Parts: sequence; structure tokens; C-alpha cells
Amino acid sequence: ENREAMLNSRSNRLTEALEEANALFDGVCRAREAALDAQFLVLASNIGKEKANELHSEMSAFDSTAFSEDLLTFMGINRTEETDDSEDGSGGFLPIDAWKKLGEEALKYFKRAPVFHYMLGSFKSEPPVPKQRIERQKKASRGKAEQAMPAQLKKMEESHQEATEKEVERILRILQTHFENDPNIPIGFFDFTFDPNSFAHTVENLFHVSFLIRDGLARIKLDEDELPVIEPTKASGGAEEDSRAGARNQVIIKLDQREWQ
Amino acid sequence: QVSELVQFLLVKDQKKIPIKRADMLKNVIGEYRDAYSEIVNKAGMTLQEVFGLQLVEIDTKRHLYILINNLPCTEGKYLCRDEEKEKMGLLLVILSFIFMKGNSVKDSALWEFLHLLHVDPGKPHQVFGDVRKLVTEEFVRQKYLEITAIPLTDPPEFKYQWGPRAEKEISKKDVLNSVAKIQGKDPTFWASQYREAEAAH
Repeated sequence: ENREAMLNSRSNRLTEALEEANALFDGVCRAREAALDAQFLVLASNIGKEKANELHSEMSAFDSTAFSEDLLTFMGINRTEETDDSEDGSGGFLPIDAWKKLGEEALKYFKRAPVFHYMLGSFKSEPPVPKQRIERQKKASRGKAEQAMPAQLKKMEESHQEATEKEVERILRILQTHFENDPNIPIGFFDFTFDPNSFAHTVENLFHVSFLIRDGLARIKLDEDELPVIEPTKASGGAEEDSRAGARNQVIIKLDQREWQ
Repeated sequence: QVSELVQFLLVKDQKKIPIKRADMLKNVIGEYRDAYSEIVNKAGMTLQEVFGLQLVEIDTKRHLYILINNLPCTEGKYLCRDEEKEKMGLLLVILSFIFMKGNSVKDSALWEFLHLLHVDPGKPHQVFGDVRKLVTEEFVRQKYLEITAIPLTDPPEFKYQWGPRAEKEISKKDVLNSVAKIQGKDPTFWASQYREAEAAH
């Protein structure tokens, strides 16, 4: 104990302790006490050696307290006005980037190899899998697969078509149902196709309705107000002729999101 | 083989823990053992020419290697994560303290000093977390610091010195200059440290 205090070059504590031990030794008459005394001597000589070392490598006196104060200043400490006696050292608050600031200064001196990172992220188990899939597909196409590829594509297209067809049918049915209820009142084209809540849906509706028109299952006319209306065509031979003979008018309506709104 | 070794070394260096020759042999060189030194030399050249990094053997007995940066220091912003910056700040402070105090300090003296900077081993630190672990384990494993036990101390005490990585990555002269800059003094203010720093340079 009290090692630090003894090491302090200005203190004579070590000397005092030695002198005390010396005095005590005169009163020793039991072996155990002599052993203790010997132990003490060993400790004392170690401390003595350290003290000697300190003297030698004292270097030019380095005031670490002053160094710490200057470091805190460099890091941007906000010193508090109140005198805080419990703290031995500078009171105050270090900003959140205090050490980062110091670190940036430090990095100028270190010949540190930048930490290596893969730009595309670290290895994951995923990448090999898609590769295998692609390879398999490639092999398949090279092998028997001219049949396989078109078959796949056909399937996709079919499903697409199916979906569209279904939608178109659905819309036709809606139109017909509406007309059944009120055969004489044509539906405003815009009322029918426009979805007040979704522009995308509106566009989809227009797309599906266009199929109906193309296939002659519905007709767009202009009413008295020059607004387009839509009505289903009657399923009769006459209708077919009509659509063929009828002028195929093209109207281009420009529609963007703003207009839609 | 060479480019594989280069990649291996770069990845291994991420944690800044020195690379063992045994690992290099096992993972990369394998059957080309005989050409080992040639492969290592070529890898070193590639690292230097392509990345500006130097492969340095810091322990010739146990064959440990590290990568250091050989490019001239740029004043501009050094690209790295904040966490890395903060640790380097703390490390510089510790290395400076050790050097200015004669190249070796007792743990009690070091922690006494760090306490002045609001860094305590017992309390979780806002920036560093478990500081004791960082200093006594991480920095030591990375060979920035070396801790040796002081004999015949009870409870056991330790002394801290610069580790071999610190010796290679930073010079005493730079450390003295940084101290001088922070304290607003000329490096010659500390005569014996200055002499030692100049001698080592």
C-alpha cells in the first residue's frame, strides 16, 4: 500500500519506513518476525528500484494534468462555472463529437491501412443460388429446350391474356347489367371508366374498355351535349355489320393525372 | 495464388489483428508451400503498388504480419467510420502519455490520467462502452499496446508500453509533435523526449 506515495520522488516515506523497520528489528526475537522483516526488505528494495527507474526515465518533466486540460480544450469541452470539489480534474461537459474530433487529428499521424470493405457488401449465401438457377435454365435451353422456352413464354402470355380477358368480360357484364336496368339511359363514358380514387385504375379501365370497342361489344357515341357515352351493342348479326360499316372514328383524348383530377 | 493471398490479407486486416503465417499457409497457399516466400513477396509488391500498403512482419519468431499504410499522409479527410476515429483518438492519447512518461507507465498511472479525460474503467463510457476491455483487450490483441505484469506486486500491477503495431504505424516524432500542437508549445520544450524522438526517426 501507499506505493504511489512512496514512489513520489519528493517523498521520504520510503526512507522513513526503512528507518522504522530498522528500529523494529532490534526488538525481534522470533523467527516469524524475522521472516516478516525479510519480506519487508524485499518490498522496500523493489520500491527503491522503481524509484531509481523513475528518476532515470523522468525525462523532461511532463505535466500530464496540463496535457489533459489542453486535450479537453481541443475536444471542445464546455467548462462549468461552478467549482466542483468532488472532481479532481476539469469539470464540464464534453460534446458528443469530442473523441471523433481528436480521432481525426490522430489519424493524420497513424500509417493505418484503411479497413477493407467489399463495395457490394459482405458475402451472403444468396448469390450462388441464382447463379445455379440461371445455369440450369441455360443448360435446359441448350439441350432439348427450344420447346421448353417457348412453352414457358406462351404460358406467361396466356396468363396475361387471361387476366385481361377476364377483366374485359367483367366490364362488359357490368355495362350490360346497367343497361338492362335502364336501357334508355346511356352511361357517360367518363362516369363509367373513371375511378375517382385512383388514376392508375382509371387508366386500366380505359384499357379494358378499348377491347370492348375493338371487338364491337360496345359502342361509344356522342350525346346531345357532345359528351361521349358508352353502351353495349346488341348481340345480333346486324350489329356486326353495323360495326363494320360504321365509321370507325378515332378520338384521341389526352389524359394525364392533372386532367383526371 | 498471389491475388488470393492479397485478398486474404485485406480481409484479415479488417479487425486489425495480426495475421499468422500459419493461417496464410493453411487457407491460401496450401500445396504451394515451397513457393511460399515468393508468393508472399509478390503479394507484398501487389499490395504496395495497387493499394499503397506495406506488409510488415512484426514478430519474426511467431511470424505475425500486419498491413500498414505507405502512402504519404494526406491532410484531407480520412475516410473511415466514426467509431474507428474515436478509438484512434483514445489510442493516440494513451500512446502519447506512455511516451512522454518514459515509454512505460503503470496501469494505475494510466487510469489516473484517463480519469482526467472523463474516461473510467469502472463506468460504461458514452462513446467507448467498456473502456477497460477496449484498452486491455482490443488494443492489446491488435498489438497497439503491450501489457506486462510487474513482478512481486500484490495485488498484481501491470505496465503499459507501445506494442509492435504502434511502433510501425506511428513515430515518436509524430507523437511528440501532436502533443506539442495540443499544448501550444514547441516540441523542443521537452528536451529528452525530443532527443529520443529525433534519434528514433
